[in-house]
Amino acid sequence: MEFFQQTYTALRGPTGVQQTPEDTITRLSDRLSPSTLLADRRAAVLSLKGLARAHKQLVGVHALQGLLGIIQNDADVDPDIGRAAIETVVILCDTVDDSYTERDLGLEHTDKLLEDEKTAHKLFALLGDQDHFLRYSACVLLITVLQNRPQRVQAYFLKAPVGPAPVIAVLEGEKEIVGQAIAMLTALIRQSTEIQKILAFDGIFEKLFSVVTREGGLEGQSVVTDALKCVDTLLRFNTSNQSYFRETNLPTLLCRLLFFDPNIQPDQVVPQEFALQFWNEDKATNAGLILEAIGLLLGPKGAGLREGYTFTRLLVEMALASNAPTTVKVKCLRLLPPAAVALLPDMILTPYMPVPDTNGEEWDRLEAATGIDALLELIMHGEYNGQDAVRRQKESVDLRATAVGVFEHFLRDDHVKEAIISGLLPPEDAGIPAHSPVTPLLFGLIIPPNSLLDRSSVSSVQFAAVLFAHLLRHAPYCKDLARKIIPRPLTLLPSSTADGAFFVPADGEPPPPSEPPSKDDSEDAPQNLLAVLTEHLSLAFLQRSRAELAPRDAREADRVICAYLSLLAQWLWEDPRAVREFLEAGGLGVLVEQLNQPSEIDVVVPGLCAFLLGVCYEFNREPGEVTRVTMHSILTRLGADVLVGRMNRMREDERIKVVGPDSWVLPCPTPGPQALDPAFTPMYDGETEIWFDWAFVDFWKANNHTIQRGIVADPDSASSSTAQSGEESILVASLRGVIAKQAAEIEALQNKLKELTATSLATAETAASEASQSAAKSTEERVTLEAALEAERSKRTEVEKEQEDLLVLLDELSSKRAKDKERMKEQGMEVSEDEDDEEEDGEEED
Amino acid sequence: MAGPSWNYVLKFIITGDAGVGKSSLLVRLTDQRFLANPDPTLGVEFGSKLITIPEEDNKVVKLQCWDTAGTESFRSITRSYYRGAAGCLLVYDVTSRPSFEHARTWLADVRTHADPHLTCILVGNKSDLSLERRQVSTEEGERWAQEEGLLFVEASAKSGDNVEAAFEKAARDILIKIRRGVFDDDRSPGVKSSNPAGAITLDQRKATGQTCCGS
Ligand SMILES: Nc1nc2c(ncn2[C@@H]2O[C@H](COP(=O)(O)OP(=O)(O)OP(=O)(O)O)[C@@H](O)[C@H]2O)c(=O)[nH]1
Ligand SMILES: [Mg+2]
Repeated sequence: MEFFQQTYTALRGPTGVQQTPEDTITRLSDRLSPSTLLADRRAAVLSLKGLARAHKQLVGVHALQGLLGIIQNDADVDPDIGRAAIETVVILCDTVDDSYTERDLGLEHTDKLLEDEKTAHKLFALLGDQDHFLRYSACVLLITVLQNRPQRVQAYFLKAPVGPAPVIAVLEGEKEIVGQAIAMLTALIRQSTEIQKILAFDGIFEKLFSVVTREGGLEGQSVVTDALKCVDTLLRFNTSNQSYFRETNLPTLLCRLLFFDPNIQPDQVVPQEFALQFWNEDKATNAGLILEAIGLLLGPKGAGLREGYTFTRLLVEMALASNAPTTVKVKCLRLLPPAAVALLPDMILTPYMPVPDTNGEEWDRLEAATGIDALLELIMHGEYNGQDAVRRQKESVDLRATAVGVFEHFLRDDHVKEAIISGLLPPEDAGIPAHSPVTPLLFGLIIPPNSLLDRSSVSSVQFAAVLFAHLLRHAPYCKDLARKIIPRPLTLLPSSTADGAFFVPADGEPPPPSEPPSKDDSEDAPQNLLAVLTEHLSLAFLQRSRAELAPRDAREADRVICAYLSLLAQWLWEDPRAVREFLEAGGLGVLVEQLNQPSEIDVVVPGLCAFLLGVCYEFNREPGEVTRVTMHSILTRLGADVLVGRMNRMREDERIKVVGPDSWVLPCPTPGPQALDPAFTPMYDGETEIWFDWAFVDFWKANNHTIQRGIVADPDSASSSTAQSGEESILVASLRGVIAKQAAEIEALQNKLKELTATSLATAETAASEASQSAAKSTEERVTLEAALEAERSKRTEVEKEQEDLLVLLDELSSKRAKDKERMKEQGMEVSEDEDDEEEDGEEED
Repeated sequence: MAGPSWNYVLKFIITGDAGVGKSSLLVRLTDQRFLANPDPTLGVEFGSKLITIPEEDNKVVKLQCWDTAGTESFRSITRSYYRGAAGCLLVYDVTSRPSFEHARTWLADVRTHADPHLTCILVGNKSDLSLERRQVSTEEGERWAQEEGLLFVEASAKSGDNVEAAFEKAARDILIKIRRGVFDDDRSPGVKSSNPAGAITLDQRKATGQTCCGS
């Protein structure tokens, strides 16, 4: 009652006359001085607290200094007054307010609080106080000032006499305070590598993870999420913390939190408790954060680490053989380091499938498969064997697209490409009519167009074309092999049922100038893959030209056509033999027909047709029926300028424009000025679509110009500046090989040199007597190696002189190396300093 | 990814003037390398190494070392590490008298901020350099160490001489302290024994509420 009494008096004033708020606040503020009795001071603080929100400025002016004094001197003795004072200051420093003036006031008060380090240091110390409420309010005030002036507070923290211990100890407190503590730590470590390191040293990782386990593991709610985000910040840009973290037991704990056995052996099957878990939204978020941490620890180097195998296995299992939410699976594949992909063929997984209509309650275990087979299966059919593929939901298409990226890493090595293509060839000893084995990839490529209206199949064709293009692009040897692929003829012919009018052109449609594919053709001599694709392209165009085609089906047909055209463009590029086969299979007619009467709305298909026609003309360098002269007259008739114009217009289409290295899954329909058929609506909510992958767009952008120049060139002009005739392109390819080999050799030599230097140092150090000897020896070897290096270099120079183009190539190579190194550095990989030195030395010698 | 393969984790800090070779000692310990031109340390760098102590029952010790910057401007940052450490390598350069004299200041700083039971070893680095260049004799180093109750060794990060020995000597001393119960049950912030990772255990998983047929 005393409190009210006093407030009342203070407000009313001794004379009973109503006072202004300023009078009241001044009066109350005066009572904050240490000379006042503690009880009176407490009452004054409480009254000021009540007035602070409404009179932020006045209370700030008159009372802030006094309040800070109370925090400094009284909080230890009387937690209640300390707490009230802190809470008042929180109100004064608050900047989460709508009005600008209030916000500025908050900053002003914060600056006053931070004028020197005393209050901040006191607050850090109070985090270790006995009194729960005092700890809590100190935490809240620290959060407030950290939000307003992070750097000042961080600087004070580094000098705090109490050190980091109390800051971390609050994490052991009661549940309510832990949430605040994590918020405070999150603000404290933001963008301060040094504080991150200090806290790691003092055991913050261990404390954060015990919060996670205490709060129910990954199924825990926001506290767990916040704790894991904090872990992420501590690790993400802090290589020192990453190496510290690796040296603890925590990597094991990361596995256990996901119910993954950290000691799993390659020959062991992953238990079901990992593969089939309970999932909800919180858990997906939290698991995502754990996976991010795993990805960080793996780094781009990946498998080299002690935990490399376990982590890689975990990511692969979760992505390809679990019931994890699709978004989580996407994350797993994204985080898989390129180098780890080499482990895929040797991993044996047991995928699961949800039993239909059991609402995810029951699961069938499928047959074991290798990691690479499971990956291909996922790309070709979609998650859970394409159960939901028709819906084309974002995450499920993302998953397939991300899997393509993983597969691409797998193909880094040319031998792998060759091996895969070789696996598609007919067995050699099986006689003439032998056919290629039907692998999922090949099957996807040759799905006959009469079933293409099936949405799942359309996606399969698209993904198959993308994968196959990855195998062939800039790989002459693979292209040679690919021409020998003889797919087993699938029933190509439409049934003569009611809807079988599929291949019949709409009435009044002129017959295609090319030889229309007929029954007889396909039953004759076995066709190779290139011929089959050419035929399917023609069939797809026929289907597309049907007048009554619904807008949705038309878009499906366009997708398939784009898939074929982009694959063929990459295949025929620099491959005169393939060009000849394509032309002889009727490809020329197909393209010319389309360009004769192109769509008025769509710019992509005509643009691609023009591009492919240009590729054919440019690389039509083998003797054959269709000569360059013939083609030239066709080009003239179509109008070279018109064709160039078509190619250029394609550039503006959103489906090309927005594609980036990791973004080729587009919303359906892709927004942009080129809205296709206005009658088109997607079949499902949230449907997505794909048209081209980045590799194709990149290829197309790089070569579009060459083709545009080539198209206007004379039939007997050898070849435009960068394009070569068949022989030349083979020469370039082989020279490319030579250069790659030499680059590898040079690198090997440089490595040897480095090792040698290192060993010579090492030996020199251990025994003085041996030192001179071994140094001399290694110098000798070094000289020999340097001579060899020099020889390699001069050889390289010769090669450079032979082909101007290759200079460009080399330049790209070296700048890419430099960039890679930069990137490696950025990503925290070790690029040892000596390596740099060595290179500099090398350059000086040049 | 087997569980802990060590009996103890010991936190070490390495301090001393700029340029005396602190980072070089750590790199020598962890990577068996020597860098002729290391960058000056900014703030603090972490490195770690497993060693076995034959005299103490072949106990396996994981050394977690924080190599600090010698430059004055990082003093407030590096001080934050003293408190939590179990061991300290106080390094000077035998060819630099000032670095030896400053060791006093460093020691005072360590004593103010660190755990009273911290084990400190004085390391005279660059012992590979010729006698003419020496400015601090072995005897003098040893004498001062004795006065202050420090362990002592001369080492060379360049040749590798005595580097591992320096860490081992300090680690052995800490293990003896542990055995004698100086830190009543791991109370030193810088010592951790191998029972569960930071006392974190995970309850066995909850049931998923799912069944798997067809298996
Ligand atoms: N001869 C010789 N030189 C050494 C030895 N150890 C270090 N050096 C050299 O001394 C210089 C400084 O070494 P650092 O390891 O960077 O010194 P630091 O103590 O870490 O320095 P800060 O990080 O700035 O505190 C480098 O040029 C090293 O090559 C040694 O044992 N013998
Ligand atoms: Mg250093």
